[in-house]
Amino acid sequence: MAVEAPAAPAPAGTPPRSRPGWVDSLVTQGIALITAFVVAGVIGSVIIAAYGENPVFVYSTMWQFSTARAQDVAKVLENATPLIFSGLAVAVAFRAGMFNIGVEGQYIVGMMTAAPAAIFLDVLPGPLHLLAVVLAAVIGAMAWAAVPAILKVKTGAHEVVTTIMMNGIAVSLVAWALLNPLRTSERNLVDLRSDRFPESGLVPNIAPGLGLEEQIPPSVHLTWLFPVALAACLFVWYLLYRTRLGYETRAVGSSAGSAEAGGISIGGTQIKVFLISGALAGLVGLNHLLGDAGYLGVNYETTLGFTGIAVAFLGRNHPAGIAAAAILLGVLTRGEDGLAIHTELPREIVVILEGLLILSVVIAYQISRRVLLRRRQRLVRAEEVGSRAAA
Amino acid sequence: MASGSTTDDGAGRAGAPLVVMEGITKRFPGVVANDSVDLSLHAGEIHALVGENGAGKSTLMRVLYGLYPPDEGRIVVRGNEARIASPRAAIALGIGMVHQHFVLVDEFTVTENIVLGAEGGPVLDLDAAERRVSELAASYGFSVHPRARVEELSVGEEQRVEILKALYRGIDLLILDEPTAVLTPTEASDLFDNLRKLRDDGKAVVFISHKLDEVLEIADRITVLRRGKVVGETTPRETTKEQLAEMMVGRPVLFRLEKPDVGVGEPVLRLEGLTVGDRVKGIDLEVRAGEIVGVAGVEGNGQRELAEAVVGLRPRTGGRITVDGRDLAGLSVAEIRQRGVAYVPEDRHDRGLVLDMTLWENTVLGRQGERRFTSRIGVMLIRNIKELAARLIRAFDVRARSITVEAATLSGGNQQKLILARELAGEPRLLVAHQPTRGLDVGAIEFVWRQLLEQKGAGRAVVLISAELEEIYELSDRIVVIYDGRITGEFRPDVPPEDLGMAMTGGRVAAEAS
Repeated sequence: MAVEAPAAPAPAGTPPRSRPGWVDSLVTQGIALITAFVVAGVIGSVIIAAYGENPVFVYSTMWQFSTARAQDVAKVLENATPLIFSGLAVAVAFRAGMFNIGVEGQYIVGMMTAAPAAIFLDVLPGPLHLLAVVLAAVIGAMAWAAVPAILKVKTGAHEVVTTIMMNGIAVSLVAWALLNPLRTSERNLVDLRSDRFPESGLVPNIAPGLGLEEQIPPSVHLTWLFPVALAACLFVWYLLYRTRLGYETRAVGSSAGSAEAGGISIGGTQIKVFLISGALAGLVGLNHLLGDAGYLGVNYETTLGFTGIAVAFLGRNHPAGIAAAAILLGVLTRGEDGLAIHTELPREIVVILEGLLILSVVIAYQISRRVLLRRRQRLVRAEEVGSRAAA
Repeated sequence: MASGSTTDDGAGRAGAPLVVMEGITKRFPGVVANDSVDLSLHAGEIHALVGENGAGKSTLMRVLYGLYPPDEGRIVVRGNEARIASPRAAIALGIGMVHQHFVLVDEFTVTENIVLGAEGGPVLDLDAAERRVSELAASYGFSVHPRARVEELSVGEEQRVEILKALYRGIDLLILDEPTAVLTPTEASDLFDNLRKLRDDGKAVVFISHKLDEVLEIADRITVLRRGKVVGETTPRETTKEQLAEMMVGRPVLFRLEKPDVGVGEPVLRLEGLTVGDRVKGIDLEVRAGEIVGVAGVEGNGQRELAEAVVGLRPRTGGRITVDGRDLAGLSVAEIRQRGVAYVPEDRHDRGLVLDMTLWENTVLGRQGERRFTSRIGVMLIRNIKELAARLIRAFDVRARSITVEAATLSGGNQQKLILARELAGEPRLLVAHQPTRGLDVGAIEFVWRQLLEQKGAGRAVVLISAELEEIYELSDRIVVIYDGRITGEFRPDVPPEDLGMAMTGGRVAAEAS
């Protein structure tokens, strides 16, 4: 019987370097992100060039328009504010394994329930009035989210289908409300809208509070909802990573079977999380409603909920990523204005750039995720072999 | 092919080898799966390839079957160097392989399946094909009806169809990857008879396995692989199970574990007429403290439903389940856990771990609601959880760089240790372990077995559900056999395997009272 002496194991392939795990993932994902930007930028350049414009000029115009002056930055942050809320709303549900396509309908209903609170509750003292308005929006949106959540858990109806239906109903419901109970009492008004909200029901701009009135004109509606949005990011992070509900949410979302075997109620967790998602959705429409318009009209801002899906994807369903992604989309939207003024490009080019960016970032994340996992597995295996040899 | 006279060392080795693999090296990112492996395969010889999971047995044979191109080395078939770029090329050279998972079309008949891909022209003469299949089957003693539809066949019969498929294509070398993993003992011994006939007819057979008893029974020659290298070649006459295991693992392995001698105590788990859908059909079972009851049976006979009903993951449709005398009816999984029921699931990934989450997060799964780990207002007490995780990982020797890496980065053995650590940390009354060593290597299996015996020693009740008879024999104080959702026999652990096998295929044995 020919038996080799047990030899020391030969390290296989390239010896894995040892770096702290988070540095490793930060570096890898950073590289992935930069690559994705470059790829999206290059493909975008080809399309821009096909329109006969100079890509370098186009990109620099977009950048200039977003960063040149304080008011440009403020405009970007204004754009980002509702997207942070909607991105968070989508992400929270996603973490529990659900796809909340209904953020759109939920925030529309939230605006609808906020309006009467703004109009009729002005008997409350200043800040309490505003708080009541915000709460009304949150509760309205939560109620709207409760329907698909309960349907899912009790009957198995898929939330994608039900929330899409609820979106359609929400639009009609607001139209009805504007025609009937909320219709303005002002005479001779052709516009279909509610009464104007009293001052105490509105969210003020940040600029006066910070003494920046000179740099940022009142037409830029960067309101106190922006810091609230950042606080919401913190809240969601804390919820996901520091509370039992967040732990159970992530377990249900990434392995429902193991979560169930661990005694977690999947249905119960999903209902709770969907209500939280709805509550966040309720805040989406408020920057427009309380910071800009000051009344609810038929021309309210739409598609913020759908854009939230893109934000959540770009931000990898992580609160910090969502804040960054929302600001990035804010830059693109602001850049769109610049392109309209300085180039012949159709406005839709920005939508194309957005799409390219999202696509390449999502792909890059997937690749980097796999690379990281493989590298970590290799490291662990190598250590196993090493410790076996030592034993 | 010279079928040759059996001379030599009695292993039927004669003349030039049929296939020679020289210096085969195959690398995958980060691993060298085969490291300059030499292997010669002879006609009229059953050659066993043994080694732990990941030792490179299957990789080597996939190289030979044209599924992976080797990075280095050469393959010589009948004296000529061969470049085998695809399974089609392998078959043309007379090399066939039967994989662990069969690739048969359920709706087709045996003959149709065998002919599929070897029709030999646009017009299919099924009658002629049927005749050939019958002849082939008869000449090797395969009992398979050529017109039977595959969906009606047992697993053992399906395997025979796979082998016939290879023989129909005129192969001289047949590779079988872990062929007995899916068979009952009787089916396995039928397979061995078939393989011996093939050998006596001058075919070469490669038999991949990690079950040493059967290797010693069937093989003429044994090659042991460890970490991609050949560590030895021997014959059953020259070696013993213990020596083989040592070669495989690289250190001595204990096969006979001491069963702790504890008195059997109060009944902990009692099943009375338990029914779960149409998969579990009225099971009575009692498991006492300090007792390991082995539930043996071929997979898919209601084991999963039985285990999941006990731990509350699946609603029962009839009967009673009591733990320590209290009925579990209407309790949630969490409440059943609180009553001291721990669960090692059959599927580590789908029922055991959340692979995306860290080790410390996984060690608290199932106990996250305890005051030690979550404050009154629902904030996790991370420091306490990490303390627990660090302690468990040390105690159970989970090899990981830190408790903050994701569970997905661990090897199968370490994932299983993590699950055991978690489930046993709560000091349960009852442990339900379902296939606790599936896919683990010898070292990890030994560890898991020791842990189960320790549970018995600590006076816990253990239900061990397994399709591995060796495991059942090794650990159980009492063995019951499950077939088609019913208990078809109850035995003491000294029962001969034939009787167990009989019960596993539904034949009721005059059950000896234990």
